[in-house]
This record gives sequence, C-alpha cells and structure tokens, in this order.
Amino acid sequence: MKLFIFALSLMVLGTAPFVGETPLDIHNILNPGAMEYLLFWDLRLPRVSVAFFSGAILALGGLVFQAVFRNSLTTPFTLGVSSGATLATAVGIVFLPASLVAFSTFFSFAGAFSTILLLFFFARTLNAAQTNSLLLIGIALSFFYSAALMVIYAISDLEQSYSIIRFTMGSLNVVGMGTLYPLIAAAFGLLGIVVHYQKELKLILTSYENAFLKGIEIKKINLILLLAVSLSVGVCVSIVGPIGFIGLVIPHIIRLIYKKSSDKLILSVFYYGGVFLVACDLIGRNLGTVSEVPIGVVTSFIGGPFFIYIILKRKRSHD
Amino acid sequence: MKLHVDNVTTPYLRTISFELDNENAVILGSNGAGKTTLAKAIVGLYDTGNVYVDGESVASLCAKRRAEALNFIPSKLDVFDDYIDVEEFLELCLFNGTSAGDMEEMLKHLTIDHLKNSSCKSISSGESQLVLFAGGLLHNAALSIFDEPTANLDSDKKIKVFEMLQRHRGLKMVITHDLNLAYRLGYRIIFLRQGELVFDGACRDFFDAANLERLFGNSIKRVDEYFMVNYQ
Repeated sequence: MKLFIFALSLMVLGTAPFVGETPLDIHNILNPGAMEYLLFWDLRLPRVSVAFFSGAILALGGLVFQAVFRNSLTTPFTLGVSSGATLATAVGIVFLPASLVAFSTFFSFAGAFSTILLLFFFARTLNAAQTNSLLLIGIALSFFYSAALMVIYAISDLEQSYSIIRFTMGSLNVVGMGTLYPLIAAAFGLLGIVVHYQKELKLILTSYENAFLKGIEIKKINLILLLAVSLSVGVCVSIVGPIGFIGLVIPHIIRLIYKKSSDKLILSVFYYGGVFLVACDLIGRNLGTVSEVPIGVVTSFIGGPFFIYIILKRKRSHD
Repeated sequence: MKLHVDNVTTPYLRTISFELDNENAVILGSNGAGKTTLAKAIVGLYDTGNVYVDGESVASLCAKRRAEALNFIPSKLDVFDDYIDVEEFLELCLFNGTSAGDMEEMLKHLTIDHLKNSSCKSISSGESQLVLFAGGLLHNAALSIFDEPTANLDSDKKIKVFEMLQRHRGLKMVITHDLNLAYRLGYRIIFLRQGELVFDGACRDFFDAANLERLFGNSIKRVDEYFMVNYQ
C-alpha cells in the first residue's frame, strides 16, 4: 500500500505540469522562444508548485492542530480561520479603493491571523480538557463570520461579489514564480519548526500532564507550534484562498495507511498533503468544463465524503 | 532532598504543611480527600507557589530541573495518539540516567514485555497501571509520587510492585487505599480528610489501635499483622 501510494504520488507530481487544457510539446519546453516555454515555466510549474506547498502547509497544519488541541477534528479550518480570512478579504474587496484591491491579500492574512489570536484568547480561558468547547467556539465563529460575510455581500456590487465568490472557492491561478517565494518560505519554515520540536510533539501526543512532568515547557511549545501553523496558513490562505478539508483529511488518511503516531508522520503528511492538492488541481483543470472548476470545490468533493467516513469510523471504534 | 510543603491551599486542600527530609511517605485518606490534588500541587501541576525543593520554589525551577527532581505517576494512563505503543511511551520516560536496557529488564520483570508493541490505548487497566509504574521508575526523579500504584493489580503483581518500590533508590511518596501496603512499606504516613491534614507521623503510631479507631471508626479490623475491611 505504502509503495503503491508513493509510486502514484511520483506519477502525479511527474505528470501534473505537463497535462492541461493546452497540450504541451515537450521538445519546446527548453526553447525560450516557444509558447510552450512560457506556458510551462510561467503558468504550469508555478501552479503545480503553489498547489504542492499549499497542500503541504494545510495538511501539516492540521496534524499539528490535532495534536496540540488533542482533538482529531481540530484544524485551522474547522476552528474558523478560513472564514476569518474570507471575511477580511471580502471587506478588503468591498471597502478598499479599486487601485488598492491587490492589498486584499494582506487582509486575508490579517483575517486568518486575528482569528487565531481570538482562539488563543478563548483557549486560555478554557482548560486543556475542554478542547471540544474550543471546537464549538470555532464553529460558532465560522457562523458569525458567514453572517457578517452576507452583510458584506448585501452592500457589494456585482463585480465585487463575484471576486468574493471566486476567493471563497480557492484558486491556484498564479503567474510566474514570484508568488511562490513567500509560500515556499512558509512551508519550509513550518516543516523546520515542527521537525525541530518532534520529541516535544510526541510528549504532547501522550498527555499535557505527562509532557509537563517530562520537563517540557508546554505553554511555550504550544505557542510556538500554533503561531508557526497560523502564520504559514495565513500566508497560504492569502495566496490561494480558503481550501478546506486537506488539513482534516490528509493526516487521517496518512495515519490509517502508516499506522504510526503523528510525530513520525510529519514528513509524510507534508508530502502527501502537497501531492493531494496537486492531484485535485490536476483533476479540476482537466475536467473539460467551460470554466475551470475551482480547487476548493474539488477538495471538498473528495474531502466531504471522506470526512463523513472518518466520523462514522471514529464512532464505531468508540462504541 | 528536602521537600517543604508550606501552607498549600487549593479549592480542595486547606493549608497543608509538612516537610520531608530525605524521607519516603505514604499518603492515605478517604475518596475525595485531596490526595491526588496534593500530589499534583507538589510536582507543580497545580501552581500554588508554596512548595519548595531544597529551599527553591518548584514554580521557579526551570522545566528540566523540575522534571529531574519531581515526578507524579497518575493512576490512569492517558495517551491521546492511537498509535503510541508501550515501548515508545516508556522510551519517553528514560530520564536521569536510565537506559533502554533497564526498560527491557523492567518489562520482563513485570511480565508485560509482550505488550511492547501494543498501542497504549488497547491494553487493560491493570496493564496500563504496570506501564505507568515502570515509566515512573525509569523516569527516576529524585522524588516520585505514585498514585495508587497497586489499585487494579492481581495479588502477584501487587507483590512485584511492592518489591520494586522498596528496591527503587529514589525518594517515594505513595498514595494508596491499601493499608496493608502502607503498613509493609513502613514509611511515614500523611493522612488527609476532606482537604485537611489530620495525621502526620510514623507508621507505627498510625497503626496504633486507638489511632486507627479515631480515623476509620470500626470499618477496619486488624487480624494479626493484617488489616481487613470490616464487612458486616
């Protein structure tokens, strides 16, 4: 199973940049004068890379949140981070003067990040055993944000509401490698920090009490891990929009396949999170639809049913 | 090591004070008397600011030094991740100079070596108690507080745990309901009732007939050197 998945993943990564609406003549890829050169280096490759690193951040972020909050349903997204980013972006789109709309990227980052700060504030007043309450707060926050988003819709014009809708569905449309750098930095920054705290993470995966007794500075480590995830997810959301389900689904799938504790799955979750989003994107842009199917739609289409499966399986094992 | 508990007060404890100077102790008391709370306050899980190790406040110790000095072994094994197995859990307990070899030996001695690759979540309550106990010995803190280390065990394992407790070189505090265990260990006894310290003294004085009657009424009956629950 592991080998099969790995081979499949290599195949996906290998073919993704070459398959698309416009067929590529491979011989021309290295010829700077040809159309294919532009198509490959400026569009396809950046897009596949954005997909990979976004997926990697979202999946690893989910893994870390699940460990730190000790709840297998907790991800930056189920806690309302994506809704926060969406709301802030919508505010940016509607209220910023047209010449500054490009800055709505910073708004989505700020939205994601302020939601995290809000959650920190709530988490501090709850004790470690109340992670379910935090999840409920996250859901309540999402509803609140959605309601606020509806208000923004009501006061936006047609063009603005179209931009908002496009953002909420997520998009991997990028041109050139420039957008990639912050994303790559965020992805490897997060990976580096999580790997650095691997042992601490393992102790947290037993219990807070045990980690404390083994000399781990729980509060400090949690803060570092959650900040690292929030910052990188903030960067990711601001570039590709809120893409749900990866943070939830990938850690669960990888755990089911590898049957190892989460601290040993850091690299696998990072890698397969990336591959999953690349694969979803590959499907999305090759369906032959009139306009491209947004990436958020594809991940939710695959992720939704799986989420239900996980819930049912979890319930069975608890009975 | 000198432990000084100075007027520790929590919602469940009222101004508890005592000192242990390189000395073991047994903590006894009825259900809900605050035994576990006291243990958690000592190791810093509840930050009261009133516990001192060799004159230094536990709250001000750096995390690593605190872990070398104090450990609490809970009565229930709590592991979040489904895939952390017994061996991995115990490896996290290797501390203060204990090695993987010590771990193997301990697992064999407690006859739980076949559980090495079992998930911590799949083993029975008695087995997980033995795993916790082994983890406590491997952690090898200057002072280890065991919370009911024999509660879910069969008689054979109770004896093993008793022997291993005696052989363990670090300082120990043992929370228990088992008067026979307390009597055989012979440590100084601290007795709590509803959050108050009602007895603190030598084992011999504690098991004095008048004292037993004062603390337990007629619910305990002494038969030779054994203490029985007096079902009527």
